[in-house]
Amino acid sequence: MDISVEQRESRLGWKLIAPSIGVIGLLIIYPILYNVYLSFFDVKLTGANLFVGFANYERLLKDTAYYSSLFTTVLYLFGTVLGTTVVGLFVALLMNLHFPFRNVARTVILLPYFAPVISVVFGWQFIFDPVNGIYNHVVVEMLHLSGTRHNLIGDPKTALLVVILFDIWKHFPISYLLIISKLQSINRDQYEAAAMDGCGPIGRFFHITLPEISFVLGTLVILRLMWNWNKFDEVFLLAPNVETLPIFTYYTAFTGIIDQGMAASISVINFLILSGLIIFYVKKILKW
Amino acid sequence: MASLKLKNIHKRFGSVEVLHDINLEIKEGEFVVLVGPSGCGKSTTLRLIAGLEDITEGEVIINHNVVNLLEPQHRNIAMVFQNYALYPHKNVRENIIFGLKMAKVSRDIMDARLEKVAKMLELQDFLDRKPAQLSGGQRQRVAMGRAIVRDADVFLFDEPLSNLDAKLRHQMRSEIKRIHRAVQTTTLYVTHDQVEAMTMGDRIVVMKEGVIEQQGTPMEIYLKPSNTFVATFIGSPSMNLMDAKLFPEHVEIEGQRIHFKEKIQRPDFLLPKEGLPIKLGIRPDFFLDENFASRGGSLAKINYAKIDLIEPLGFDKELDVQVGTQSLKVRLDLRTTAKEGDTINLCFDMERAHFFDIKTDKNLFIHPPIRPQA
Amino acid sequence: MLGKRTLWQNCLLALTLGVVLFFCLFPFIQILSTSLKHQFDWGNPSLIPIKLNLKAYQELLGLGKGAEVPIPETVKRLLDNPLLTKEAKEKILSRYRSTRDVFPFPRFFLNTFLLSVTAAGLSLLLAVFGAYAFSRLRFKGRSVIRRSILFVYMVGGVLLMVPLYQMSVKVGLAGTVWGSLFSLVLIYIIQTLPVSLYMLGNYFRTIPFALEEAAATDGCSRIQALFLIILPLSVPMLITVFVYCFMIAWNEFLFAFVFLKQYHDFHTLPLALQSLFVSKNAIWDRIMAASMLTLSPVILCFVFIMRNLTRGLTEGGVKE
Repeated sequence: MDISVEQRESRLGWKLIAPSIGVIGLLIIYPILYNVYLSFFDVKLTGANLFVGFANYERLLKDTAYYSSLFTTVLYLFGTVLGTTVVGLFVALLMNLHFPFRNVARTVILLPYFAPVISVVFGWQFIFDPVNGIYNHVVVEMLHLSGTRHNLIGDPKTALLVVILFDIWKHFPISYLLIISKLQSINRDQYEAAAMDGCGPIGRFFHITLPEISFVLGTLVILRLMWNWNKFDEVFLLAPNVETLPIFTYYTAFTGIIDQGMAASISVINFLILSGLIIFYVKKILKW
Repeated sequence: MASLKLKNIHKRFGSVEVLHDINLEIKEGEFVVLVGPSGCGKSTTLRLIAGLEDITEGEVIINHNVVNLLEPQHRNIAMVFQNYALYPHKNVRENIIFGLKMAKVSRDIMDARLEKVAKMLELQDFLDRKPAQLSGGQRQRVAMGRAIVRDADVFLFDEPLSNLDAKLRHQMRSEIKRIHRAVQTTTLYVTHDQVEAMTMGDRIVVMKEGVIEQQGTPMEIYLKPSNTFVATFIGSPSMNLMDAKLFPEHVEIEGQRIHFKEKIQRPDFLLPKEGLPIKLGIRPDFFLDENFASRGGSLAKINYAKIDLIEPLGFDKELDVQVGTQSLKVRLDLRTTAKEGDTINLCFDMERAHFFDIKTDKNLFIHPPIRPQA
Repeated sequence: MLGKRTLWQNCLLALTLGVVLFFCLFPFIQILSTSLKHQFDWGNPSLIPIKLNLKAYQELLGLGKGAEVPIPETVKRLLDNPLLTKEAKEKILSRYRSTRDVFPFPRFFLNTFLLSVTAAGLSLLLAVFGAYAFSRLRFKGRSVIRRSILFVYMVGGVLLMVPLYQMSVKVGLAGTVWGSLFSLVLIYIIQTLPVSLYMLGNYFRTIPFALEEAAATDGCSRIQALFLIILPLSVPMLITVFVYCFMIAWNEFLFAFVFLKQYHDFHTLPLALQSLFVSKNAIWDRIMAASMLTLSPVILCFVFIMRNLTRGLTEGGVKE
């Protein structure tokens, strides 16, 4: 009983946070380090691992499949980051106008975000199904844009487009949500003052709205980059032939000639890039 | 009931010392008001007593026991917070008896005490309401009830009236006094409002920048402020402080000589020949219009005060006047007919005037610089 | 007054809104529609089924009579072979019985539900204490911890895929069903814990300190104040965080795929749906019906916690 209020508080604080730190340390921090360790080994599923030095990295950097996967990832990131941000911004501006049943509309558009990936990917598969899908029906039978039905998802090149579209559909709501909550906090007086100063709607957008939300937009871009850099499930489930880096890592680690050492070295490189993004985010966007 | 004693208290946050050597003693059943501007350390003092902050140095003694290392829940103190801190999810009844429940008081005693307190505070009809459904005054009373019901050794009030409107504040002031008279619990009441301090305290403690400037009964503080800070902080409008020179037989303001008439008023310490530069303090309320001042008294006089502004307040009027280069605030009664731009002569009782050292700001009659030679 | 619109602008607005809402909702409508169609109707672009087909739902929920799969003559003859042990016969028979029940939806539903509830509950429990510690208690290293949590929550699952799998192989968890389930629960906890900590911490910070101080003078210890004052006041946020964790676990595919692939009876819905899709039993109406059924609890949760969740997400940060 002979300790001060502050000491007691400090002890209690550590006691309460300890389990969380333990779990995070054991299952996030340790695995990250373990991953680095594994990347220097030829990992055997049974038996002892064999130390191989930088051999995994050497093989990886000579592997053309890796570079093509990297390229696919870059395209995927470009499309999804641009798409989710632009669509999110557009919809946020739209939903910031007054119209009947606005609250219902605001709720409904969040639905894609909250729907489990697994419950919607097959619906998307069906839409692009070469035999039954509405896409081919519209393109071929109604608009006659093409003479033959295409299997969009079957071909890795076009499948990438579908995967990007799916990601935009699924994730623009969160961009929208963050943008609109900022939009709502902009003081109306500013717009009225600008209008009296002779600013039209477009001028008002560029002079007031855009500067006000530029921070949110920056945040969204960087967050989307980080999230999609690791995106596995929706790409894999919708079009397993689109080999972005996470998919490539999975195939390397768990299918065919199982090579978890190599997979670990891909993860290490990925983690380094991600850390760069995070540090950038923290330093430049959050400004700590 | 208990006594409360602070002994050589220091409090540092990091390297910043916010309380410097606080010494304070509160007797059993006394109602002491701790008053000072915001940031003076009065709330910190309260929180140290409650055990919500650590004491860096010194001792807090409740009932002759040092409680420095006792957790708040073991100190048997009750606190009324600025925003009441009522538990929003509990109704009035649950709010009031929560402390008793924690102390595992028996059901019968709990009910009896609740009933008594509810009656005292006229809360009987609101016991089932949630705090959100109560008015500001009712919330205030629930907060009081929560403190009273516990039968704590010491009550601590942290600016409890600052969120109420002026009328309600006035009403609650007298109510808190009434309740204190009924329960007679040792109380420390913190406020920045000097009116609250004057009207409620058995004793007032004036603090500034972590130092106790003066303590005493309200009238002592009002009539014998020990320095310029206390002089101007207590009383409204604030005391005027004029640049003047003090001589053994008179005081000189803006070239006017005002003679001391009675021996008792004269300084009994050595003064330089050319006069001692001082601040002369006179409260606005202590001025009289020469035309209505009774001649018989031993009144001093300041002549040729030019009226800049008159604010009629009904019975009183407040005047901003100019004497030479100095402005004064003066409160006269409604008989005065002078208009803005006129010049009037102002009388005052020299016994009500104060002389402050210009360097130390101390009241020279309480802290004389040099003792007289026999 | 700004925002007055002409008729023409109103029409444009209505049209744009229509397009946006259509974009959002069309896949859902398509799923619902296909789940109710007969096979001959699939190629029909109309969303309204020509003839309503509820068979898919009945099958999945085990409401209708499961179709008896006829045992081929050759197999029957094989079974008559007296040399075969009873066990072997059972084994052969069960192969036909298990196809009768191709997609035991209730079972997968229950698997996913139990797994998600366990993970969400544990994550919430850890988060309550942790968030309380770093949002309300002063201790050395607190701000470092708060920042690290933010950092950690940006590290996605894929990066941990290999090491986590290797770790559970090394300690022998990946070899058994229960070990794999245990690993999954742990993984779901760490996938949600940082966000839970963050959201709850931010919420706790909005509760006035004075309430806890009042509780302290009323005789509560810190822990008592947490349980008697802070938690009752946080119920909406606790529910929100729980449901959020629940949804993350409910939706998770990658780790379930890695850890539970070989244990068919313990498949979660995402895993089951995926294997249904790639299996020979892939029939659109059944897949779509299963999709709808997987979607439904999420939509329920969504409606339930909508208000709080959007607030929590915008204030507390988000994670996918």
